[in-house]
Amino acid sequence: MKSISLYVDNGTYLTKVHPFTKLAYIAAAISVPLIGGRLWLFPLFIGVSICFLASGKILKRAVPLIAFSFTILITIFLIHGLFNQQNTQVLFTLGPLRFYREGLLYALHIGLNILNMLLSFAVLVLSTKPSDLVDELEKRGFSPRFGYIINSVFQIIPQMTGTMSTIMDAQRSRGMETEGNLRTRAKAFIPLISPVVMSSLINTRERAIALEVRGFGAEKKKTWLKDRPSHPGDRAAGIIFLLLIGGALIWRISTWL
Amino acid sequence: MSNLFKTKFDAAAIVLIPACIGINYLGKLFASVLKLPLWLDSIGTCIGGCLGGPIIGAICGAANNLIYGFTAGDNITLIYALTSLGIGVAAGIMARLGFMKSFPKAIVTACAAGLTAVVISTPLNVIFWGGTTGNVWGDAVFAATQAAGMPVLLGSLLDEIVVDVPDKLITLIVVFFILKGLPKKLTTLYEADSEIERL
Repeated sequence: MKSISLYVDNGTYLTKVHPFTKLAYIAAAISVPLIGGRLWLFPLFIGVSICFLASGKILKRAVPLIAFSFTILITIFLIHGLFNQQNTQVLFTLGPLRFYREGLLYALHIGLNILNMLLSFAVLVLSTKPSDLVDELEKRGFSPRFGYIINSVFQIIPQMTGTMSTIMDAQRSRGMETEGNLRTRAKAFIPLISPVVMSSLINTRERAIALEVRGFGAEKKKTWLKDRPSHPGDRAAGIIFLLLIGGALIWRISTWL
Repeated sequence: MSNLFKTKFDAAAIVLIPACIGINYLGKLFASVLKLPLWLDSIGTCIGGCLGGPIIGAICGAANNLIYGFTAGDNITLIYALTSLGIGVAAGIMARLGFMKSFPKAIVTACAAGLTAVVISTPLNVIFWGGTTGNVWGDAVFAATQAAGMPVLLGSLLDEIVVDVPDKLITLIVVFFILKGLPKKLTTLYEADSEIERL
């Protein structure tokens, strides 16, 4: 069964860094360029993220994440380069198409922002086990009920995709077409999805009873299965990232005045 | 009015949420396997809203996007957590008002959910993507409006309407037939007005 989480334990330092430190890095990487408002800040943080990914040996696995957003980036460049309202200066022409400077600059801004977000999130997503993140959140007072919701999503989805492929095979063996023109494919949607959805909703009843029997609703304070040794570097790194955000804010306000 | 937002936070509701998030995931997966030009990724959110009420619907929607954003690397969906939340609330309120009882009423619910999604997504699209949605049909509309010199906001609004309203229409039709087929012993678990008889 394939998990939807992209985490793989490869033993590098990045997997041992506290999840909150990585969250602080994401906050800094996204907010500093937006607050600072200078274009060169985006490539700077993109570079930093790439360095983190490379040092954690997960740069290769970040590529599919970025490839996924490539089509939308291309549409943004095309639409704004060709049709943006502020377009006045022609930068270059490609056959009958005229690309304008203002639109492309705007598209570059959006494109860099998206790349920056994707890469900084990749640092967290590729190196953190989801249940570790949930555990740490719960230790800081996050509701255990929501913690359960998040953890069980990761158990339910592989189960459901398993059921889904069984049902797909079953319906195909009964002669249902899943390929062909749009009409045929659209007609296949309901017979495919309704059995999975029905069975998973019906299963929730049994799951709820099983949870109640095991004291899910108990008000007693619960203990932790795993203890995480604290590392002094985490605290320092977290403070540095927060200082960066503060610095960007002060710089922006001072240039305003 | 008071029981419109009334929610039971028992184990049944807590278990419903991950199931709905899973259903969202499957809807999206089937749509991509069958290469349908729609998202269909809010079936679970709507089921959650219809069964558990607006609050559960909102939690399903927001948690869905937040979980995928933080763990599956699909962090573009993160900013659309607000949209999903709105869809869940809209579907929940409409269901509590009795707008899921017959097929024509379900269509009204679909329009309400679709328009909610449009109203919330359009500003997000303009801020983050400069107006595009990433859907081929919608973006073609957007490109046409931009070429015709219409304002970005209007173009993006049309872009969203073209994609979101049909998407939610099909979603709610699927949800309507699924809810009709669910056994009564399951749906009674989520009825907020139910009372326990004591002897």
